[in-house]
Amino acid sequence: MQEGLSYEGRGDCRVIIRANIKEALKSLMSAKQRTLLALIGIVIGIGSVIAMVSVGHIVQVESLRQFKEMGTDLISIEKDDGSDSSSPGIGGARATKSSIKLADVLGMTAGCSAITVVAPSVNVSGQASYGGKNIPNSRLMGVTESFRDINKLRISQGRFISDLDAQSQFCVIGSNVATAIRKQGCGNIIGEKLKVGEKVYTIVGVTENVPESGMRNFSPNDALCVHISTALRSSKGSGISNIIARVSAGTTNNIAREQVMAYFKSKNSTLSLKVSSPEEIIAQMEKQMRMITLLMGAVGSISLIVGGVGVMNVMLVSVSERRREIGIRRALGAKRGDISGQFLIESVILSMMGGTLGILLGVGASYLVSLFAHWNFLFSFKAILLGVGVSNVVGIFSGYYPARQASMLDPIVALKSD
Amino acid sequence: MLKLQEVKKTYRIGPTEVDILKGVNLHVRKGELISIMGQSGCGKSTLMNIIGLLDRPTSGSYKLNGSEIVYADDDALSEIRNRSIGFIFQQYFLLSRLTAVENVELPMVYRRGDHGGIREQSMELLRRVGMDGQASHRPSELSGGQQQRIAIARALIGKPSLILADEPTGALDTTVGREIMELFKALNADEGITLVIITHDPVIANQCKRVSLMRDGVIAE
Ligand SMILES: Nc1ncnc2c1ncn2[C@@H]1O[C@H](COP(=O)(O)OP(=O)(O)OP(=O)(O)O)[C@@H](O)[C@H]1O
Ligand SMILES: [Mg+2]
Repeated sequence: MQEGLSYEGRGDCRVIIRANIKEALKSLMSAKQRTLLALIGIVIGIGSVIAMVSVGHIVQVESLRQFKEMGTDLISIEKDDGSDSSSPGIGGARATKSSIKLADVLGMTAGCSAITVVAPSVNVSGQASYGGKNIPNSRLMGVTESFRDINKLRISQGRFISDLDAQSQFCVIGSNVATAIRKQGCGNIIGEKLKVGEKVYTIVGVTENVPESGMRNFSPNDALCVHISTALRSSKGSGISNIIARVSAGTTNNIAREQVMAYFKSKNSTLSLKVSSPEEIIAQMEKQMRMITLLMGAVGSISLIVGGVGVMNVMLVSVSERRREIGIRRALGAKRGDISGQFLIESVILSMMGGTLGILLGVGASYLVSLFAHWNFLFSFKAILLGVGVSNVVGIFSGYYPARQASMLDPIVALKSD
Repeated sequence: MLKLQEVKKTYRIGPTEVDILKGVNLHVRKGELISIMGQSGCGKSTLMNIIGLLDRPTSGSYKLNGSEIVYADDDALSEIRNRSIGFIFQQYFLLSRLTAVENVELPMVYRRGDHGGIREQSMELLRRVGMDGQASHRPSELSGGQQQRIAIARALIGKPSLILADEPTGALDTTVGREIMELFKALNADEGITLVIITHDPVIANQCKRVSLMRDGVIAE
């Protein structure tokens, strides 16, 4: 008659776990309102973590794509004003004194063995208008024939600016500009006249729409391209603002940079230049992304903590409401571990429900963000795994204390409570 | 089977201490069918909770199956309750979210090891207590007597060697009460289960092989 005291069979706990899961669902369903309220925090927390991870992923892929669009064998050369923020005063005035000369730029291909093609551009200020109406966002630029190739532009109508157009008043417009003109009821754009400031330009071509690229700080879709000599004449002082150069195959961007620096030093020693390669720009963007990720991570963590506290609160209430039940289960042979397991599973299920909703919310939010930013939406499996993992951890953490409280209840005290 | 020696239980209500059990001596042998009678509030349920390892005595010794109970090992107490003791509580204590048959099965959820055929066994027990028609009802949909019968089926599912019943027929009419008593007597005679029945009813008590009377916190046979 020792059967009561000697027990060996640990056996399978699957029955208990299955019963616990069933129980947990029943109990959560029976307190719908409270369950829902507790979920809000978790949903927002997991949602923002997921959104952050998946937007980060999308941006990274997108920026890489943007650089690959134009090619990674390009470097961008700009005049260095000393600092990025153009502070007014002495520095600003001195910076304009020496400017990049067009002849020097065109001589680069001969002077630097690592450079095969150069595309300098000049920005000209002034509002463009057609038929007396302003064209928003448009921008007059002076370019050379090579600009088309480097920026991978395609012509949808007419032709592009040629090196034979020097000093002419011809211009080639981007797709957005063309759309704006067509809106005013113009049928054949070629030959139409545009006005920028006091000057009038004749349209000779339209370029196709191109995707954005991290290598240029303008969109060719909004550009009014004229020959660089025309632009330099009409914008006294502003000078060449940007040069994009193609690095010859077999050389590195770093070698090209050193050659370019040395070349311009020999031409004009007062000129200071900033040469950036796609790798650098990508690295800088990634640094910015990390900052944003960190910030959003903080927001996500705080809402997760709030969510976790919500879950813990629900579980504590649940434990105190179900003392009688705990007593009955203990009387029928549930061990402390069985009771804490039951509440822990309930807590994990609760936060997993929140996690699932949060994942949906986060993925939905990142879908909307990429929709509005015109990025390619990517479904990040990693983010989903993260969401599931994090909600599990929150469930275990915030369920631990209530579950422990439940398991430490004395059976008779629990049975006698109501 | 079980042996209590000088078991005392003291409750503290505010500053005063109340002795409910003042040195109970009780020896129940294997296979006995014993009833305990006594005035309301004399401590019968308290005694049952101690015998059932739900509560611990303030002092005294309790031997179950020849071994002294060690109250420090909580898991071992649970294991004994699960395997060897069947409870029938005064207030039934069914879980309201579970159906009748799920309530009956509950002790087996916490039994490690042998499983299989639990549902069939539960249905068979429900048939035995005349509740097989209400297997999927919830306790709130059942009368007090019906709930009591579910509780009896639950006490039997684990094939315990000891059944503790606190007023098992209190809520039943005389006919059903007699049937339940017949069931208990059959369990005792055919399966050798030891039964301790707490009751107010002298008719029930007289059907038991042995009647103990509780008075002033002690058992006066
Ligand atoms: N937790 C407690 N704290 C203080 N006093 C208690 C506690 N539990 C029970 N008592 C007291 O102990 C006494 C015995 O209670 P018990 O439930 O054992 O009585 P009983 O004999 O089962 O009565 P009944 O026949 O009415 O069920 C009662 O006077 C009760 O007030
Ligand atoms: Mg009682």
